[in-house]
Amino acid sequence: MPISSRSVMQSTFVFLVIGLVALLSIVATTFWLGERAQGYFNLAVEARDTRGAAVDLRNSMQTAEASQRGFLLTGNEIYLSPYDTAKTEGQRKLATLRQLLAPYPEAAVPVQRLTSLLADKFDELDQTITLKRARHDDEALAIMRTNKGKAISDEANVFFSGIVKFADDRLTAGVEEQRTNAGLLRLVSAIGGLVIIAVVGGAAFVLLRYTRELRMTRDEVNALNAELEQRVSERTVDLVASRDRAQVLLSEVNHRVANSLALVSSLVGLQSKAISDKAAKDALAETQDRIFAISLVHKRLYSSNDVRVVTLDEYLKGLLDHLQTSMRGDGQSTVLRYDLAPVQLGTDASINLGVVVTEWVTNAFKYAYPVGTAGEIRVRLRALPEGRAELVVEDDGVGRAEGAPAKGTGLGSRIVSAMAQGLGGTIAYEPRTPGTLARAIFAVSGAEDVPQ
Amino acid sequence: MRNRTARRGIWFGLAFSLLLAPGTAIAQDGSPGITTPTVFPPFKADAPTCHTPAGLTRTLGYVQENDREFLEGVNLGLSTAARDRGLAYQRVLANSDAQQAADELQAFLAAKTGAVVATSSDPDVVRHGIQQIIWSGGFVGTIVPPPATLLLNAPQYETGKVLADTAIAYINSKLGGKAIVVLLTQDSMQYLTPRFEAMRHELGQLPGVTIVADIAPNPVTKEGGFATMNTVLTATPNVDVVLGADSVVLGALQALRAAGKDRPDQFLGGIDGEPEAVAEIKTGDGPYKASIALSSAVFGYAMGQSAADWLDGKSVPQAMDALPIALSKDNLAQYAADQANPGAVYADPARRDVYIKRYGNICYDTRDQYVNFPWSSEAN
Repeated sequence: MPISSRSVMQSTFVFLVIGLVALLSIVATTFWLGERAQGYFNLAVEARDTRGAAVDLRNSMQTAEASQRGFLLTGNEIYLSPYDTAKTEGQRKLATLRQLLAPYPEAAVPVQRLTSLLADKFDELDQTITLKRARHDDEALAIMRTNKGKAISDEANVFFSGIVKFADDRLTAGVEEQRTNAGLLRLVSAIGGLVIIAVVGGAAFVLLRYTRELRMTRDEVNALNAELEQRVSERTVDLVASRDRAQVLLSEVNHRVANSLALVSSLVGLQSKAISDKAAKDALAETQDRIFAISLVHKRLYSSNDVRVVTLDEYLKGLLDHLQTSMRGDGQSTVLRYDLAPVQLGTDASINLGVVVTEWVTNAFKYAYPVGTAGEIRVRLRALPEGRAELVVEDDGVGRAEGAPAKGTGLGSRIVSAMAQGLGGTIAYEPRTPGTLARAIFAVSGAEDVPQ
Repeated sequence: MRNRTARRGIWFGLAFSLLLAPGTAIAQDGSPGITTPTVFPPFKADAPTCHTPAGLTRTLGYVQENDREFLEGVNLGLSTAARDRGLAYQRVLANSDAQQAADELQAFLAAKTGAVVATSSDPDVVRHGIQQIIWSGGFVGTIVPPPATLLLNAPQYETGKVLADTAIAYINSKLGGKAIVVLLTQDSMQYLTPRFEAMRHELGQLPGVTIVADIAPNPVTKEGGFATMNTVLTATPNVDVVLGADSVVLGALQALRAAGKDRPDQFLGGIDGEPEAVAEIKTGDGPYKASIALSSAVFGYAMGQSAADWLDGKSVPQAMDALPIALSKDNLAQYAADQANPGAVYADPARRDVYIKRYGNICYDTRDQYVNFPWSSEAN
């Protein structure tokens, strides 16, 4: 399961808490055991003093007894020189022992009994020494032979051994406790160390795993990007190729359409030459111009890089030049002037506008100036604000009387109306003095002008 | 160490040194025997034969000091041997009266009894009567005190060592090598000193052993042991091992129980094979684990066989050790069986060597070499 950055933070926090607890446990245990060690140290000192007092007391008793034995055997007072010292030392050590063992109720009876035994022992020693000094050797020997002195010593030794063991047991218990504490400290330290190692290991593992997953994710993203780029590149190449093919195809289509329309126009011209009726010839000539106007759009399209739009100034210039040439062939002396701003218009709208311009210019050639009269026809194209354009065709001719019927068949007016509707613009005719002005206002940009 | 302690601990040194002192010489009608300490070689069963005693009856007499079980065992052994060897057997009880024992010996002498075994609480009183029987050509076996043509002794150092070794084996196997030990000694009998020398020496080899009491109960009775153990418990409330004579150790057990300080894992071991101690061992789950015994029936049987051999002109041992046997719950049954049928044990050399060990050779012709000193196999 992937690791989130949040879970990494949580895990790291938990690891830190655990590590801190382990560290605190080690420190707390160390302090606690240190306190206990101090207590055991005091206990050990007391036990050592107790043991020392008991051993010293026994030594005093044995020294006094040895001194007495030497005197009894030899009668030499020199043997008694350590006697008094041993006796005094014994009493002092007994007092020390009683003081050290006072806190222990279980030692009360043994100490009391030992005190009594030592009193008996020193009494017996004193008594035999006194008898010896009084030269009552037999009485002294009789006391010795009762074996009472040995019995007292044996029993006293039992209590000395008991006290020494009592102290040794406390020492041993203290040492054992110290050993246990040391073991406990080692155990706690080892466990704490292991926990800390585990925590560090866990944190490192999580971080490594997170880093590895990040690296893997980055690599996956890079791979996907590379793949996507590859696909986009391939798609782009495909699209460019498709576009190029479509453009070529469209150019070819436009070329063929233009050629077909030119052929149709030529056919219409041939037809016109083949008939004698002027009206028919005029009709066919108008039709031929209209077809030319349309074919000219396609002609421009196949030579253009963008088939969606037509550069109107270039298109209209060609169209107007053709119309002027055509009209001059018919004997017209009217001059056609134009002022064309660089405006682009959608292909279909350009066809409609071309037909409209053809109708208006042809009509002006035909009807604006009486036959044999020279005049001027002016064509203007300009861009208006808000994506609009204005096309104006005007002359200085005879004008168009208000309410007068249309000259000719009236087909041209219907065609202009139809084309204007397809153009999505407004058509207006304004009388001039002299002359006539035809105005078309239309949109030159927008999605509606661009064929899909 | 052992020899040194044995020299010091010869069981009956003091009492009999007085007996043998020049100033106490007794009118002697025959050889004084061997009066200087002598080390006897091992007994040779194939030693040359001698003449048979002349003018003596093939009767085995037994002057029994009292009716203690130990001496009753000797009676069993002697009577069985007499029966097996075709001797007439006659036992008399002295009721712990040395003079009566002396009188009984005189009676056996007067009856020309060929072999006599005697025990007495006062060797001085019976000594002359024993010598008279020896001089008459008769076989005399004595239990402990000389003189005798066959002197029986118990090796005291070995006795203490066997008990200590048994305790040490228990300490090592059951107590982890550590033990608080109480030694209940016997000041009143100097000859027993080697027992406790051996115990101290053996226990001293074990670093984990602490002897907290080395004290002699007074008197050496169950009551004395009880009182002494109470004193020990006052000083050292918990003990693991108590060693001593059966009587005092039984008293110590009583004190432990009274104080609530007895434990099944304790080792209490005694010497003498007292019936009460044996009964404690038989329970199997109490503190009493061992008692050192001498198989009186077996050595009594051996003495009876030697008496018969003497009367047949054969060579017999001059001295004999009654070897200590550590009775435990594991060997009590076998020991009882051996006690009941000492003849079978004697007939099996391997089993016989477990109970007795024989030294020196003597026969009717060499009877002037009878033992007349406090012999011990542990003396050097």
